[in-house]
Amino acid sequence: MNITITGDMNGVPIVDADPFVDDVLLNPYAFWESLRNIGPVAWLSRYGHYVLSRHDEVKTVQADWRTFTTTGGAGISDIRKPGHHRPPSVIVEVDPPRHTEVRKAVNRVISPATVRGWRERFEADAHELVDGVLARARFDGVRDVSEPYVLKVFPESIGLELNREQAVAVGDLNFNAIGPNNERVAQAREKVEPFLAWWHSSIKGETVKAGGAGEMLFKLEANGEIPNGLAGGLVMTFLRGGLDTTISSIGSGLWLLAKHPEQWELLRAKPELLRGTFDEVLRMESPIQTNFRTTTGPTEISGLPLEADRKVQLLLGSANRDPRKFADPYSFNITRDATDNVAFGNGIHACAGQLIARLEFDCVFKALLKRVKRLELDGTPEHRLNNALRTLNKLPIKVTLDA
Amino acid sequence: MPKIIFRTKVGKSHEIDATVGSDVMKEALTHHVEGITAECGGAAACGTCHVYVDEATLARLPPPESTEEAMLDFTAEKRAINSRLSCQLRVTQEMDGAVFTLPDVQF
Repeated sequence: MNITITGDMNGVPIVDADPFVDDVLLNPYAFWESLRNIGPVAWLSRYGHYVLSRHDEVKTVQADWRTFTTTGGAGISDIRKPGHHRPPSVIVEVDPPRHTEVRKAVNRVISPATVRGWRERFEADAHELVDGVLARARFDGVRDVSEPYVLKVFPESIGLELNREQAVAVGDLNFNAIGPNNERVAQAREKVEPFLAWWHSSIKGETVKAGGAGEMLFKLEANGEIPNGLAGGLVMTFLRGGLDTTISSIGSGLWLLAKHPEQWELLRAKPELLRGTFDEVLRMESPIQTNFRTTTGPTEISGLPLEADRKVQLLLGSANRDPRKFADPYSFNITRDATDNVAFGNGIHACAGQLIARLEFDCVFKALLKRVKRLELDGTPEHRLNNALRTLNKLPIKVTLDA
Repeated sequence: MPKIIFRTKVGKSHEIDATVGSDVMKEALTHHVEGITAECGGAAACGTCHVYVDEATLARLPPPESTEEAMLDFTAEKRAINSRLSCQLRVTQEMDGAVFTLPDVQF
């Protein structure tokens, strides 16, 4: 794909390109490569924001909340401006000192020790689900594995229950809203409408189940140990951040491993590679493909000047396939060191739930590796188009089990 | 290349040549230093790369950012005044001679 440069803004190339059209969302690689080759930063004239597509610049911006704040919102519009105004996410869209206080509350309820305590339940659920699925030689990797597994173990850990339809509706709107107000957003709004009453009523102290992270948060709030209103906001954040992303990574993992039987074989021989496999899957198919920061003042990146109070779009998927960082970036290789991928973010806003994401991936694949000799595609997979989320909708799989 | 030292409480030392620009956690893993777990891979989200930093080095380090600060209260071995998460410590030439004491437990 050729992206045409139409001018420059103090040396920053101006391009008329759209990252949010179907073709690009479905197959973004040529678009990304073209942008990366134009330079470390470009100005998208169509939307009026900067875009970063290379690894080093994306990582630098993620880590620098002082210069590139999230308080303007994680999406394309500035949530502090008229016409786009909405309350910020209680954790993603706040900066220190408030952020520190919120992050501490999160650490109390999903501390590493707590999450380790979930392992037994997560493993048992993975075995039960996988055994059921493997009773058939053919199944769908998304409908039968990644979706039901995540929707079982994660909401339960928070103290909620939700079905696939609810989860998909909420997730679609949540991630489409990162992008421009296009047809996809309008459709997602319509689909979520029937669930809004349920969504708001379920996120209350009285309705969360005992024993989960949600209950702990509401208790802390009732005791005045965390600020008022934070518990509900965090439960919402957990659901927004912890479902679609992990469903995506398990689905993409199955897809990539089914496409590369030699990697499955290698993983069977060396199960200790599973941890690195997760990083490599995130690098290849970053669940959140893009999000935004806002410049807090005039600044520069790689020697090019950026104006104050402008949105900066980070193309995480592109950064993770930048050949300047990852050699042979298009090849799926579970033995490479992919730990420096930017899918989880960097700095203070790095994903707080990544231990949980790793745990889920680990449990599902360990259960599969135990019994599945060969994992193969059994048809053409389909993606569910979204402005920011990369996730599969259909993944026909065929397996051969150990004798 | 700055030399940095990892030391266990019983005094066993592991000296490595660290790469400037890398981080202390990653250098420990690369050189197979035992006692750094780094479960989350370097995002200050798990507290399992906890180290105690020698006084001179500590004074030269930039203070912890919000996420590290919040995580330091949740390390398996109690936080001390010189506690840091090694994943957040960037290796610099000035770090030469730094001593990082490892906690007995990371989780």
